[in-house]
Amino acid sequence: METSRQIELAAAEWIARRDAGDWSPGDQVALDSWVGQSIAHRVAFIRLDAAWQQSDRLKVLGAGKQVGGPPESDWMRSPFFSSHDEDGLASPKSRIGSSGEVVEIRPRDVESLPDQASRRPVRFIAFAATLALVGFLGLGIRERNAIDVASYATGVGDMTTVPLADGSSATLSSDSKVDVALSRGERHIDLLQGEVFFKVAKDASRPFVVRIGNRKVTAVGTQFAVRREGAGLRVVVTEGIVRLDSEADVPGPKSTLLPAGSVAMAGPAGFSVHSGSIEATASYLSWRDGYLVFEDTPLKDAAAEFNRYSTTKIVIADPVVASMRVGGNFRYANLEGFVRLLELGFPVRAERHGDQIVLTSK
Amino acid sequence: MDESLDSWFAREILAHEGALVGFLMRAWPHRNEVHDLRQEVYIRVFESAMHNRPSSPKAFMFTTARNLMADRIRRGRVVSIEAVGDLDALNVFTDEVSPEQRLSARHELKRLSEAFDRLPPRCREVVWLRRVEELSQKEVAARLGITEKTVEKQISKGVRLIAGYFFGDSQSGLGRRGGELEAQKEHRHGNQQAD
Repeated sequence: METSRQIELAAAEWIARRDAGDWSPGDQVALDSWVGQSIAHRVAFIRLDAAWQQSDRLKVLGAGKQVGGPPESDWMRSPFFSSHDEDGLASPKSRIGSSGEVVEIRPRDVESLPDQASRRPVRFIAFAATLALVGFLGLGIRERNAIDVASYATGVGDMTTVPLADGSSATLSSDSKVDVALSRGERHIDLLQGEVFFKVAKDASRPFVVRIGNRKVTAVGTQFAVRREGAGLRVVVTEGIVRLDSEADVPGPKSTLLPAGSVAMAGPAGFSVHSGSIEATASYLSWRDGYLVFEDTPLKDAAAEFNRYSTTKIVIADPVVASMRVGGNFRYANLEGFVRLLELGFPVRAERHGDQIVLTSK
Repeated sequence: MDESLDSWFAREILAHEGALVGFLMRAWPHRNEVHDLRQEVYIRVFESAMHNRPSSPKAFMFTTARNLMADRIRRGRVVSIEAVGDLDALNVFTDEVSPEQRLSARHELKRLSEAFDRLPPRCREVVWLRRVEELSQKEVAARLGITEKTVEKQISKGVRLIAGYFFGDSQSGLGRRGGELEAQKEHRHGNQQAD
């Protein structure tokens, strides 16, 4: 009779062999038959297979780290987790190494800095050497193939989807603007204005980084939207996981993971994350289909949302009107229709003054 | 609720492996049997879930573990008064089960990275190149100047260790040093038996 450890070893060998490639239908039949032999086999296989699937997510942690082998073994202490965990006080040295931007020239120049300096001198020297090397290479790359640089913008009420050179796509909402720089080590996007939905092509060696002022959102292969709002931002993740990093001088956590279904709102004072279902996040992205979705939304927020998409602006002069709650799906292009509905269903009067529609209570 | 049994099992049962192993270690006098007991618990839970999924999986898993130990004691495979005593005392333990202690995605990722960091250096390197840099096993072999067979072996080892660290309790010895040694010993033992 097989021991539990023998079964575990056999299951691990199956997974490794399947992972090796050249996996034929015949191999699959053989595996299925092994798994089907007993519940013991099946359970051992499920267990190891689940762990192996999980390990795919290491990529997210690897995003932004150097290519060419795993980082030092205490890589996970900083900067990725440190802000949340017990050792919230990263040492000054590791902080310099960790944020990369300290060497700030432009973000794209520091694409593949190793993410940490070590406490031990030997490692630190190695780190410094790598730093110098990377700096040198970085310059070389920048001068030789000046990378793929492009800017995209939309007017008020417009929406457009642009393919990026790496196979990703960006859908720009109304009145939005991005700068795109695709280098060998990083795909760097500056969101200057508005909101953009990204479908990121998978490329583990080139993290996809969206910078919004002093924060950045990093993904490997995933789908998410980033909106810039004054000094703040909103991130909506519909697939995969992204990482939201804030610079050291921004209050609140420095680094947070946002799995699919998350909506993160960040302001100057920190941010909040709401984790819900992936379906629920869809309502935040309905603009891609030309709709705005409201559910028990204060009228002032609904109006602000409409105003993003229109040169005619709704102005609410009355706090009673501002706090009325509205719900439903509306075409954002049909602001007039929205206002007419309000007049019909609510004690609201609308007056037109040039390109403003002023709402007051009746 | 039309989720496959396999993924249900991974999420609701395997996720509590650390607690289960801790429990078995405390309750069972023979440590080297814990790996086997763990598997037996999984088998029983899985078989039962094939017919009807328990409404509180974690509690059900612990009940199963206690019943299993009781059965073994009754069948005389282990004669240990202390074990019986402990078992009764451990009734309390199942009450501690919190209804929804699902790991957050972030916490899971942290565990995963910890698991990864505990791999032996060569194994760690192979797993990194394969999983993060997405090289094929063949490419990993070329990069590191080792044979493809060795890469496959390292992957196989990595799979087992990651599962042990990821599902298992980070502090428990099972699957870590002790586990590795035992695994080798038993493997050899097994080969002899197989003759």
